[in-house]
Amino acid sequence: MERGYKIRSKPDYQSLTWREHALAHVVVAKGKGGMAVLQLFQQMYPRQPVKVLYIRDKDESVDYATTLTKLIGEGLQCFDSEQEGLYAFFRMLSDCHMGTQFYMSGTESFIWSAVKLAKLHGVQEDDVMKQMMASLSRPVYCVHCKGMTTDITTNIATCRKCGRKLFVRDHFSRLLGAYMGLQVDAEDPGEVPEIEEIYP
Amino acid sequence: MAHAFKKETFRDDYTYRNSPEAIRRFPFPFAEDRYMYSVNMEPHTSGAPGSVVEHTVDVDEHYVAECMDKAITLSKDPGRYAALPHTMDAQWDTLELIMDAMSRDYPDQFKLTKNGNEWSWENKPLGIKDTFTFGDRSTLPMEPFEYIGRQSQGDWVILDQRDNDLYADAGIVTSQADWSLMFDAGMSFMQWHGPVPQAHEMGVFERALKYLLNMQYGSPVRRLNWTMTINPRLDTSPENYEQWGHERNTVTPQNAGEKVHLRVELQTLYRLPRSNGIVFGIRCYLISLEELATYPRWAKRMHRILKGLHPDLVEYKGLTKYRESAIQWLSRYDDGAPLELGTQPE
Amino acid sequence: MSSVNVRVAAVERVTPLVKHFTLVREDGSRLPPFSGGSHVVVSMDAGGKVYRNAYSLMGSPADTNAYHISVRRQERSRGGSLFMHDKVVEGSVLQITLPTNLFAISRMGRKHILIAGGIGITPFMSQLHDIERNGFDYELHYAFRSPEHGAFADQLKARCGERAHYYIDSEEQKLDIRAVLSRQPLGTHVYVCGPGPMVTAVLETAHDLGWPQRHIHSEQFGAPPGGEPFNVTLAKSGLVVEVAGDTSMLQALEQAGAEIDSLCRGGACGRCMVEVLETDGELLHHDDYLSEAEKASGKKMMPCVSRARCTHLLVNL
Repeated sequence: MERGYKIRSKPDYQSLTWREHALAHVVVAKGKGGMAVLQLFQQMYPRQPVKVLYIRDKDESVDYATTLTKLIGEGLQCFDSEQEGLYAFFRMLSDCHMGTQFYMSGTESFIWSAVKLAKLHGVQEDDVMKQMMASLSRPVYCVHCKGMTTDITTNIATCRKCGRKLFVRDHFSRLLGAYMGLQVDAEDPGEVPEIEEIYP
Repeated sequence: MAHAFKKETFRDDYTYRNSPEAIRRFPFPFAEDRYMYSVNMEPHTSGAPGSVVEHTVDVDEHYVAECMDKAITLSKDPGRYAALPHTMDAQWDTLELIMDAMSRDYPDQFKLTKNGNEWSWENKPLGIKDTFTFGDRSTLPMEPFEYIGRQSQGDWVILDQRDNDLYADAGIVTSQADWSLMFDAGMSFMQWHGPVPQAHEMGVFERALKYLLNMQYGSPVRRLNWTMTINPRLDTSPENYEQWGHERNTVTPQNAGEKVHLRVELQTLYRLPRSNGIVFGIRCYLISLEELATYPRWAKRMHRILKGLHPDLVEYKGLTKYRESAIQWLSRYDDGAPLELGTQPE
Repeated sequence: MSSVNVRVAAVERVTPLVKHFTLVREDGSRLPPFSGGSHVVVSMDAGGKVYRNAYSLMGSPADTNAYHISVRRQERSRGGSLFMHDKVVEGSVLQITLPTNLFAISRMGRKHILIAGGIGITPFMSQLHDIERNGFDYELHYAFRSPEHGAFADQLKARCGERAHYYIDSEEQKLDIRAVLSRQPLGTHVYVCGPGPMVTAVLETAHDLGWPQRHIHSEQFGAPPGGEPFNVTLAKSGLVVEVAGDTSMLQALEQAGAEIDSLCRGGACGRCMVEVLETDGELLHHDDYLSEAEKASGKKMMPCVSRARCTHLLVNL
């Protein structure tokens, strides 16, 4: 691998901090992303109206929901499934005004699912603050069958839709919210390199 | 120029060949013995008669066969045409650009009559005759960009200019050198050039972007890009990788002349008037090493280019498996003597 | 920069201060279509002295027979607008560049808020065609000093109906920028064109309310500020150019024959940027292009709007 080489399409993530100028704030987080939300509220509870949507992860050992409820109170809504949480987020967007700041935290797959919903309302992804938490697992788009496979932790993934073995590239599409998966044995069918967990 | 359009294939039995005239006018891109990225954009003005840049849009002997290959690719994978919803103005701009150019420069093959917004278009080589209302999507059998994209050689990408950046928001891409429109649609200039090694450090893309953002209507630009392909295959897309990827294993020093092709992209960029966007044309020219060696000077230069190519570029351009075979095949043309600068064949 | 010769086909007085000029191609051929918000730079030959001013195209982008511009008479101008008002008549010949657009409608926007002050209404006239053609939602807010100065207000009332709001200064009607910008749905873009203080107010309010920068667009065609005269020396030719108090540095350089490119001539696009090699005084930056750091470094300046206070200024031309 060439040193000093970075694919420009790979998104950058940052630690969530409140934006100074805002009409309102909306925070969406899942699982360990709850930690980033706690961190936000430990910085400050902003003057402007704040809404937080938190999705509990079934496997989560730490109960962020309880702590968040104590800290945030009324502005917080908790959900048991990603589907419920994202649906509520989508419905809320129609009532948001320009000047609302958006913050997201969770796995990469989750973040981009939420970003795509915001985009449907005209929010541009560069204006959404995103913090990737806890896991490096990736959403992967199979360029051959167009299927999406989420939360991949290995360098080579099996496409959930067509079964091909895909090399997980760093080239990322913000429109699709996923990394490109390219058939790893196209040149030499059957020759699949060692599968390693490099996005734990 | 008498147009005898060839009947040939770009897949399966690969009957594609260049006539002596096509070989002579081939846009050989290497002016010196070493290759490195540069912005290398120049005004897209009328070049030498008979050359590939004589006309705005070049229509050559492969026109009909290429359009048919394009239709095959699109029928198997409709995702090779993609247009985000806000691109309609730019689509019409592009249709106008290409129709005006083709009918002006090849009046025997393409006829365009305009009666206000009522247009008549005749494409003799493809046997198409249509009338439509410019600006009214319902009067065409498909979106305007797809309609005209299918009738021209090469790929086209529409770029929306916003936020001091360019976004690839629509495209018809069937002869790309290994990038996916479906995947790259909506990306910014820097994002879709993301995977290209070396060039970012050199600031090549920063300069290119600035140059393009300032492009004016009526002053198009062009540049050449290159890579290599095994067999004269146009569709070397990631989508169909398993169809062509393995062909890289079939090259030997003996057959390299026949199998290894130099693939040159003539890239042209035009400012679009109504949408303020830019349309990017990527016109692909293929030539086998054997055909290239018709002019020993070219073979000699090609040999040196391949020998001296930076390892990252070798990998990025997909040459790893057959580069050695190609070099060996070309070596017979290289006597080691100095070769003057220039891309001329003789 | 490509330019074409045009003939003035008609001159219409729209308000006491504003004239509308219809321009057709001198050779009778068609003009290129353009995108809403575009402008052209008009070169006027005033017997030796050449004025160059940017004017927004007001007409329909689909009308390739004629371009329409409106000029507000500025008493204390460098002369361009006075020349247009007093010397240009039907039949006059002018040179214009092909249209350039630094103020285009964002195609990603779902709704567009257009805010115009005075003559700043002009770019919105063509933008409205793009908005209508694409079926976008919009609001137009047009402020002007008194009823007789509301150029094209009648036309706009008929065209925009309830989507347009008018604010007449003399009748104490004030545009509440904050109120307008606080109630917009996600995906809205705001565009402002008018006098400096109005543009600043809109930009500051939008920023303050949390609107992302990429949703905020502005254009200003004020006359660049005049100032004390100064000299500039061109390093490559050794030429010393005098910049008079009422002439921009760009204009002075052009008249002296220096090879310098330009585009917006208003300090927004960066095209005319010159490299400053030496100066014994200070650069007076009036542009919107350079960063604070770049301005402070004293190594670059935009001659279209900026000036200098010094006895020596050496530039890399």
